Amino acid sequence: MRLEDTFLIKNKLGLHARAASVLAQLALKFDATITLYQDDKQAAGDSVLALMLLESSQGKEVKVVCEGPDAKPALAAIGELIEQRFHEHE
Amino acid sequence: MHDTNTMKLSSLTCKDCSKAAVLFNSKKRILEFISQLAHEQLPHLSEQAILNSLLNREKLGSTGIGRGIAIPHGRMSGVETPLALILVSESPIKFDAIDNCPVDIFVALIVPDGDCQLHLKTLATIADKLNDKEFCKQLRSAKTDHDLYQVIVEQS
Repeated sequence: MRLEDTFLIKNKLGLHARAASVLAQLALKFDATITLYQDDKQAAGDSVLALMLLESSQGKEVKVVCEGPDAKPALAAIGELIEQRFHEHE
Repeated sequence: MHDTNTMKLSSLTCKDCSKAAVLFNSKKRILEFISQLAHEQLPHLSEQAILNSLLNREKLGSTGIGRGIAIPHGRMSGVETPLALILVSESPIKFDAIDNCPVDIFVALIVPDGDCQLHLKTLATIADKLNDKEFCKQLRSAKTDHDLYQVIVEQS
């Protein structure tokens, strides 16, 4: 199964190191290949280094593509994490 | 769009901020050493204040990002431009990394607080280099501080 959706980065710090680590750890829990796209860049969802290379700041839109048996729960969980500002206050 | 090539790792660090084959056996000890080195570059910030900033960040979640790499960092007021300190440990240290592997490459950052774009750019700059397995291999094979600094200057 292949699913995708686009999410807005809402937290003030963007996809900084902690947010990237939380996302990567979440991505590892699913049996799915997760890829994030922003502008002309793409990153494996389970690689903190790759995610930091996206330089996703507040207000940017990122496309999340999930492929594999867990595509649906993976997309839901990652979408929620981004929507919930990576559990940050601002 | 930002171009990561416009910022270089070599421009964020200095000769005295590159330490090869360091011998520490705990997270706390290496963070103390990083704080000491950073204080030498930023004398207006106390060693203790730098250490607190690094330790507070680790409390939010380990900066051990996998593959034996950690990026301990602190966002501090009174810092004008990001400072990177690059240390390679003789033997890997337990660092609660996300892949549970011990860490031997430390790229520590002391960055200005407030500037989110600059911080993301700084992180992307170091991620770009650390994503390169050959670069990491060269960092790990550097025998002296001088060799380590040469690798950084030549490769980034």
